[in-house]
Amino acid sequence: MNILVILKMVPDTVEELNVSADGKSLDSEFLRFKLNDPDEHALEQGLILKEKSGGKVTVIALDAPEVDDVLYTALAKGADRAVKIPVSQAGLGTKATAKVLSDFFSSGAGAVTPDTLVLVGTYAIDDLEGELAPMLAVHLGLPYLGVVSSVAASDHGLIVQKEFAGGLRGEFEVELPAVLGIQSAEKPPRYVPVAKVRAVMKSAKIDEVEIPAPTDTVCLDVQRSYKPEAAGRAEIFEGSPEEVADKIVDALAKSGVI
Amino acid sequence: MDPVKINLVGMPGIVCLWILTVLAFGVFGWRVSRLIKLIRQGRYEDRFDNPGRRLLHALKHVLLQPRIFNERAIGLPHFLIFWGFVIYATCFNWNLLRGLFPFIPIPYPEELRIVGLFLEVFSVLVLISLVVAAGRRMFFPPPHLHLSFDANVILVLIGLLMLSTLFGSGFRVVADGGHGSAWAPFGTLLSKAFGSVPPESARRLAIGMWWLHMALVLAFLVYLPYSKHLHLLASPFNVFFSQAATRPVGDLTVPGAKEDMSAGASRWQELTWKQLFGGFACAECGRCDRACPATASGHPLQPQQIIQKVKNHMVRYGLEGADGTVPKLVGEVIREDEIWACTTCMACMSRCAVWNEQIPLIVALRRHLVSQGQVEKNIQDMLGNLQRYGNSFGKSDRMRAKWTQGLPFKVKDARKEPVDIVWFTGDYAAFDPRMIEITQTTAKLFNLAGLDFGILYEAERNSGNDVRRVGEEGLFEMLRDKNLDAFSRVKWKNGTRIIVTTDPHSYNTLKNEYAFPDGGVVVRHYTELLDELIRGGKLNLNRRLSGKMTYHDPCYLGRYNGVYEPPRRVLAALGLELVEMPRSRDKSYCCGAGGGRIWMEDGPNIKERPAENRIREAISLNEVKTFVVACPKDIAMFRDAVKTTGAEGKIEVKDIAELVAEAMNVEDRKPV
Repeated sequence: MNILVILKMVPDTVEELNVSADGKSLDSEFLRFKLNDPDEHALEQGLILKEKSGGKVTVIALDAPEVDDVLYTALAKGADRAVKIPVSQAGLGTKATAKVLSDFFSSGAGAVTPDTLVLVGTYAIDDLEGELAPMLAVHLGLPYLGVVSSVAASDHGLIVQKEFAGGLRGEFEVELPAVLGIQSAEKPPRYVPVAKVRAVMKSAKIDEVEIPAPTDTVCLDVQRSYKPEAAGRAEIFEGSPEEVADKIVDALAKSGVI
Repeated sequence: MDPVKINLVGMPGIVCLWILTVLAFGVFGWRVSRLIKLIRQGRYEDRFDNPGRRLLHALKHVLLQPRIFNERAIGLPHFLIFWGFVIYATCFNWNLLRGLFPFIPIPYPEELRIVGLFLEVFSVLVLISLVVAAGRRMFFPPPHLHLSFDANVILVLIGLLMLSTLFGSGFRVVADGGHGSAWAPFGTLLSKAFGSVPPESARRLAIGMWWLHMALVLAFLVYLPYSKHLHLLASPFNVFFSQAATRPVGDLTVPGAKEDMSAGASRWQELTWKQLFGGFACAECGRCDRACPATASGHPLQPQQIIQKVKNHMVRYGLEGADGTVPKLVGEVIREDEIWACTTCMACMSRCAVWNEQIPLIVALRRHLVSQGQVEKNIQDMLGNLQRYGNSFGKSDRMRAKWTQGLPFKVKDARKEPVDIVWFTGDYAAFDPRMIEITQTTAKLFNLAGLDFGILYEAERNSGNDVRRVGEEGLFEMLRDKNLDAFSRVKWKNGTRIIVTTDPHSYNTLKNEYAFPDGGVVVRHYTELLDELIRGGKLNLNRRLSGKMTYHDPCYLGRYNGVYEPPRRVLAALGLELVEMPRSRDKSYCCGAGGGRIWMEDGPNIKERPAENRIREAISLNEVKTFVVACPKDIAMFRDAVKTTGAEGKIEVKDIAELVAEAMNVEDRKPV
């Protein structure tokens, strides 16, 4: 199986997020990037498939801060090839990102073979709608299934489990080639020790595949970015149970409930 | 009365002695050479540095055996049996030499009256000791003492050796006319019982006793390398080669290693020869198990078993060539939950009378698990956080100095302004909400003492002490290098570069494992610094505190680094009455947080967490209301344990800095 995993860097919400001076985007001063969580699961699922059914895992990412570390870590975990497309991810909308990625497949560096499986994190914090994978599937003319939580090889391709609302699950048979949006891998992503990553950094290299930067980078025009405004305040009543009860009654009376 | 000048089984005695000796020494030498070959299959490790210091260390701990006396019931008996062994082994060799080479112009040892007296006195002392030892095994064995058949065989064998000497002496007295002598008091006493034996028969019986004695020792020699009593030969070497003889007790490096040790050991051959050798020095006494907080809590770990399992596995598959697939050392021979249960508290190693090194062995096995990515979810998340943010709390590194915001003065950034002292707070003091107030208090104390100190702000990383003990050596090196880089940017005012830490774990690794490139760095724990400041009159204690309290020695401050007195001196200066817990100083009982345990879940079979056990110990002391700690993790662990044991109101957990602040009325003072 020719497994390709798309890795995307997203802003790390552990760091302080601020709106920049133009009021329309994130302030980049304190911004740090990390690998999108579902993408980490997509990689894990790819590695599990490779271990169970054989094949080759290629990880692909657009250029972003700290992306090299992420690609080397993927190699240390067991990916066979890492590709960096030197198009900056910053400022690219989902549609443009999908276009760049699909250009990669037609560039000759990564042709879609009959046994190709493209794994993409089913959503990202800057793509909560989960549009990247289906858009890429449309460009490539491949079938797509999202919110996937388990993938296994079968005689005719893959058996895929997908989650639905209300705790329902559906099982699908998917023929290759195909694109899957991974919600979670069968197992939590594996840990790779630092020493192994460092060794890979010395021995392996990241392929750079030149793809022309898209002309339409953003199709949506952001009017305003802002931090959520506090909606209300909590008040804690203190004292003996009787006193607290009185305060609650007062508060309810004041608000017109009783 | 030369015992070799007789005929035995139709052969001259001397020929018999030669045959027995060659056979016994042959078997012994063959077995020992195979065992040596076996352990040499382990990885190389240089334990040959500083032989002088090693020798002194070995002389002290082999000849005087201070650690044996840790347990009173068996301390003196073991000591006497050991010295009996030394004397008897000497006389055996003397006898053998004289017997094998009759032309050597020396008498048999028993023929010298003073030697005879010595042998008699010791044989009685050893016999009494054997009765105590056997009685202890039979009637009140301590938990985890391995009650093996082997041990009983040895006790009987030693007993027979002593009796053959005494009986031999008794028969000699009869043979010599039955008058007796003050030089052979017990022989004289025994001779009374043999009064009816004719002198000639007594003479033959005396010679018989000599032969019995010699034959038993030779049998002992053959038996030794097949039994746990190999410890008697192996332990002196084990003590000589012990790491603590020349290096810090908690060191995890392998000097002279030829392989990459950071990936740990998955097979016994990947352990070092010293780790393999330890199994033969182990006397199966159970001191380590009795000291282990994981064992006591109901975790599957028993430090003695780790040593024993490695030995038995190695002997079975490396020496005896057992059939079938070799079980995996990690996961099958030693289960993962055993390996992860260790808090690295050093209780086992500091109690071990033969100076075995359980913790580096466990860490080697952990390293293998980490290298395979086999770590539980919590640990994995933690390691991920440490890689990315440099702290175990998963907070942005820019938040590290947020605790300073509540202070009435600005804490210097040691990377930008010159300072005398860099304060390395560690993760818990900086990030844990339970600790922040205490960290601020400590800062106020430093400020009032007029210290010129700064912190590293967001450049400080987790010190890596616990990461290293989890087995993530690569991450430890990464964190260490980043911290060293931050320290290299510090503008020190003086040649003496002082680093003070809040966390004993950081203290240990900064002090012993960082190897600051330019040297000249002094690492201090804040309790050491407070002690110096109080004694130097820099901190004015204007209020004497009163009341009883007890103090908990943190593992990484006490057992790892021997800092016992400074915190006690501080408490005494405050006017508090220190009531020691039964387990204090090097016997202190771990809170359960070390070695990465603070990040792990306890299994379902845990009877009582170490911290809970410790709080109960403190409550059992008379009228002690305060439980004083000197480690941020202790605040977290013990305040939690006070709640889970329902001890709220009975005892309060306080940091030593809080008490100093109380005695100084810190809150009423203006910052300097």
